[in-house]
Amino acid sequence: MNMIKNPVYKREMRVSARSFRLALVLLVFNGILALVALLNMYSMLAQIRVTAEIQYSSFLDLYLFMAVLEFVMLVFIMPAITAGSISGERERQTLDLMLSTKMAPIQIILGKLAASLSTMVLLIISSFPILALVFVYGGVTIKDIVMLLACYGAAALFVGSLGVCCSALFRKSTLSTVVAYGIMGGVVIGTYGINQLALFFNRMPGGGYFTAASAGTGDGSSGGFLYLLLMNPTVTFVMTMLRLSGREAASGNITQWFGNHGENFVSQNWVGCSVVIQIVMAVILIRVAVWAVRPGKKAW
Amino acid sequence: MLKVRGLRKIYGNYHALDGLDMDIEDGALYGFVGPNGAGKTTTIKIISGLLLPDQGSVEIDGVDALAHPVGLKEKIGYVPDYFGVYDNLKVSEYMDFFAACYGMEGLKARRRSQMLLDQVGLGDKEDFFVDGLSRGMKQRLCLARALLHDPVLLVMDEPSAGLDPRTRLEFRETLRELNAQGMTILLSSHLLTDLAELCTDVGIVDAGKMLLAGSMEEITEKIHVSKPIIISIYKNMPAAMALLKEHPLVRSISVKNQEIMVQFVGSERQESGLLTELIQVGVQIRGFVREPGNLEAVFMQLTNHEEERVMLSYEHDQESGL
Repeated sequence: MNMIKNPVYKREMRVSARSFRLALVLLVFNGILALVALLNMYSMLAQIRVTAEIQYSSFLDLYLFMAVLEFVMLVFIMPAITAGSISGERERQTLDLMLSTKMAPIQIILGKLAASLSTMVLLIISSFPILALVFVYGGVTIKDIVMLLACYGAAALFVGSLGVCCSALFRKSTLSTVVAYGIMGGVVIGTYGINQLALFFNRMPGGGYFTAASAGTGDGSSGGFLYLLLMNPTVTFVMTMLRLSGREAASGNITQWFGNHGENFVSQNWVGCSVVIQIVMAVILIRVAVWAVRPGKKAW
Repeated sequence: MLKVRGLRKIYGNYHALDGLDMDIEDGALYGFVGPNGAGKTTTIKIISGLLLPDQGSVEIDGVDALAHPVGLKEKIGYVPDYFGVYDNLKVSEYMDFFAACYGMEGLKARRRSQMLLDQVGLGDKEDFFVDGLSRGMKQRLCLARALLHDPVLLVMDEPSAGLDPRTRLEFRETLRELNAQGMTILLSSHLLTDLAELCTDVGIVDAGKMLLAGSMEEITEKIHVSKPIIISIYKNMPAAMALLKEHPLVRSISVKNQEIMVQFVGSERQESGLLTELIQVGVQIRGFVREPGNLEAVFMQLTNHEEERVMLSYEHDQESGL
């Protein structure tokens, strides 16, 4: 599907490029990144002046810190951008007008999602000069940046699809935004919490029944609940960052996070599997959104 | 052009449409009239492919609209009872967007859009932002948008709502021009005066059913009882009032000076019988004539759910002892 010819995408890009909001988001986003980066560099230089010792690992820490900050902001901004996409059309009473034309619901949904993702790509690209500060000192390769971008891309697609889906299901943008953030919180914190809870119960005397997979493993584990973390973009990001920083061995494999889990294909290729799972979930969410905007379907 | 059969739509326990039928001939300017909640918007949304009926069929220009929704959208131009405009978008960009939604791009789309904007009187507003236009201009822009793909049927849901009288007149003129060019138009409204002067055909709907449909002349002829009899009294008004008040075929009476307006539900023979009775009780009469029928009266007659006898000013005055 040629997105450049999608009327919704074209209109969204034109309107957003004209709006003050995009300029403000770019300013705030890059302003925070720049502030953090410059403060961090200043503190490192101050330390060098006092101790006369250059800790090159600090520059990598700066890169990691900025990458984390950027990821958190992406995860927080994406629902805000997408959760009003379809419900906003309903509120402006323009959705019916679009549906009365030859446009198919899938074109409307993909146009909206692509426009939001383009905004995200713009945010990421605009932050490159700040991220590139670490290249001044070396230590981070282009491959590392590409890996990071792939991780950002999967997360943005998943979170964006969730926002568009909520926006298609709910009539009001406010409700849609609240639900999108709620679900996102559930996925990020909930999957982690479930694993903690499962581990806690399984470490209680006689608690092995909670997860059959961990029964008889001695110290217990969160069992099959571990694989819920495949949905969690934060875990994917953390795994990517651990690999990039070479701390994977020190922090342990994902199989060591919640008790001892056996090694298998998924745990050995966690990042790849997680990205695939997030893309599959994004496709499901897009299909739900298409179903929700078809003619005659009432939003909640 | 449009054939609707047995349309039913139920929301919970509420029957929005209850077996509605409708026929619109090629080139008609069809007024779809009914009180609020009668099922006009639901019908229009189903015809425009924005809502699916629980039962029934819609055929547009020989195409089964429910089975071929994409084919339907090529044939219909839809103007809702709201404007549906975007912030930060210019008039020409708004038209370009909807042209692209119909698969039209480039020079062809631009020329068509310019032609339509000129036709609705917005040719000089191309570079204006849509949200800065007046209500009347927005409504005309919506009309131009709906005509972009050259539809065979233009469906409009209460398009005059909220417009000032002058803009309404101008809008009506534009519709007349379009109809004169051969465009079939379905126009819903609860403003009967709008339709009475504009439409060639009328359908009156209430409680999800078509109560009456046909050409404007047929409709006004059909309801004989909607035409009140105006009796001009020369002498003996009390005797005339006493007789009319007790008459079983009189539904309402109103009095102005020496004229009595009577809603009489009898045939022409019974009408002449009434005249005879009035003369027999000693009423001296200057005039006895039926007023020409109008759509307003038909509408009120049909959508009045109770066959009640209406007491008007004269009787009020009598009862208050004036």
